[in-house]
Amino acid sequence: MILKIAWRNIWRSKVRSFIVLTSIAIGIWAGLLIIGFSFGMNNERTAAAIGSTLGHSQVHSEAFLEEPTSAATIGDAEAVAALQDSLLSAPYVTGVSVRGVMMGMVSAPKSARGARMIAVDPESERENSTFPSTIIEGDFFETKTRNSVVIGAQLAEKLGVGLRKKVVLTFQDGEGNISRASFRITGIYRTLNSTWDELNIYIKRSDLKKTIGKDLVHELMVRYDETEGTEEKTAELAQMLPQGLQILSWKRNSPELGYADDMMGIMLVLVLGIIMMALLFGIVNNMLMAILERRRELGMLMAVGMNKRKLFVMILVETLMLGFVGGPIGIVLGDLSTRVMMGIGIDLTSKKEGLANLGVQSVIYPEIVPEYYIIVAIMVVLTALIAALYPAFKALKLNPVQAIRGE
Amino acid sequence: MSKPVIKVKDLHKVYDGAVPVKAVNGIDLTITEGEFTALKGPSGCGKTTLLNMLGGLDAPTSGAIEVGGVDITTLSQNELIDFRLRNIGFVFQAYNLIPVLSATENVSFIMLLQNRPKEEREQRARQLLQSVGLTGKEDKRPGQLSGGQQQRVAVARALASKPQFVLADEPTANLDSESTANLLDIMLKLNKEEGMTFVFATHDDRVISKARRVVAVSDGKIVSDTTK
Repeated sequence: MILKIAWRNIWRSKVRSFIVLTSIAIGIWAGLLIIGFSFGMNNERTAAAIGSTLGHSQVHSEAFLEEPTSAATIGDAEAVAALQDSLLSAPYVTGVSVRGVMMGMVSAPKSARGARMIAVDPESERENSTFPSTIIEGDFFETKTRNSVVIGAQLAEKLGVGLRKKVVLTFQDGEGNISRASFRITGIYRTLNSTWDELNIYIKRSDLKKTIGKDLVHELMVRYDETEGTEEKTAELAQMLPQGLQILSWKRNSPELGYADDMMGIMLVLVLGIIMMALLFGIVNNMLMAILERRRELGMLMAVGMNKRKLFVMILVETLMLGFVGGPIGIVLGDLSTRVMMGIGIDLTSKKEGLANLGVQSVIYPEIVPEYYIIVAIMVVLTALIAALYPAFKALKLNPVQAIRGE
Repeated sequence: MSKPVIKVKDLHKVYDGAVPVKAVNGIDLTITEGEFTALKGPSGCGKTTLLNMLGGLDAPTSGAIEVGGVDITTLSQNELIDFRLRNIGFVFQAYNLIPVLSATENVSFIMLLQNRPKEEREQRARQLLQSVGLTGKEDKRPGQLSGGQQQRVAVARALASKPQFVLADEPTANLDSESTANLLDIMLKLNKEEGMTFVFATHDDRVISKARRVVAVSDGKIVSDTTK
């Protein structure tokens, strides 16, 4: 009967209860939409970075990780080939790309800038990464031209160069000697990460070898069958590596991306916490009003023999019911709206440039994150419980005689 | 000889304040089983305070109140609540029914607090509502009943716990003459047929005229005690 009383009491003041239930539902709906949006944005950025540039993990020499000089290579061609085969023997490794990575300078007639040169096997990159799809002008080393280079749109703009223009690349060879060579721009790319585009330029490993007379390999980019379990897979691969080499997951290779991934969970719980705080005050206010209006009734219940424990439980159940009614409505609304948005996307074209700096596309597709539904449900129940405590204690303090008189 | 249900000895109640008020000032009173007693007196004479103390709702400043052989002034708050539930029925001036429950549910609720089985609760509630003349109104909520009918539900509720006695504070104050006469007839019938003890705090002459014992209270003291 306590449940029956609690349920009917909720509907005694229909307008007030409706307002509280609506605010609970809207709060949860907004929370779930924010979660879906944030996950969509973050996962899109992560997937793009993994797919186009980072891979799931990368192998470097310990010396390279300490200081990325040209001399800090993984090893000679034989060692690299053996390592590549060894990595590919793991069932979850779908591809390994071999890269040379050197810091240097790119000079155009009007300007010069520091750059990170990535020497790649075009065929291998095409197989193991989505990078070639970021080309907006020209192609990704499809034209058989010697000393061709692919540069980012941002860098091209800053250098004042375009397709088919010549630039001079300056870098150190394996012995520390300065090498300089002229390259022709055959492709311009644009990833979701404008910072990346401004720094990194791509050349062919074969051109690098001809320029400096030897093959330098500093990095193996490793792709897995799926992103889930990256850390475990990376730890397992680390066992296969010879001494002096290290394999790091994308989270450690791109700390800012990993940090954003880790922080997002905390931020979302904080956002939900703020929403729940607002709900908490709404529920407390509603229940205090309800208790104030029902002083006589509560006084009577205490007078006729309802003990404090039962009175406390009654107020608690009543408050929890508000959460139990408003919570599922909000969760259903949040789920439905996220599903609709997943189909059509949220168009933020007006903020395109800012989003590009964050490595995010201008149309964001939210994602359903079921585990957050459980977190939200638990938070709603906890909020309702906490919200019930003050009004319930307030009710316990009523003096039955004064309450019955309406004092 | 009937056994005493309530025994009050040298009861005092002083309300503290800038000027302390002696609401009850040395009352000795014994109520025996089956009495139909009215505590009468003007507003502020101390009769409601006395009634509240008899019901364990208010604590005396000094003195003893024995109910069915138990000195209720020595009981803790929780013990008092349980004692009230099992021994005392209450009828209030403003009915104080639970508006979201039907007449039957209002009566059953007390028995629910006593953890009685559902079947027994429903059967006794129907029987009590029948005895207060509310057959056919069992499923009505308080808002759908007249003031007199609501107070009859309150009487049925007071009897539901099978108390030793019923305390009624100005039960007819909000009722018209016809409803008052009906209610008093029902309570007299329950008193006569079931031997239920009733104690009223009232200044309503219609109640006083029906009471078999009238205790007049003035300035916190009993000034007369008449048995018809």
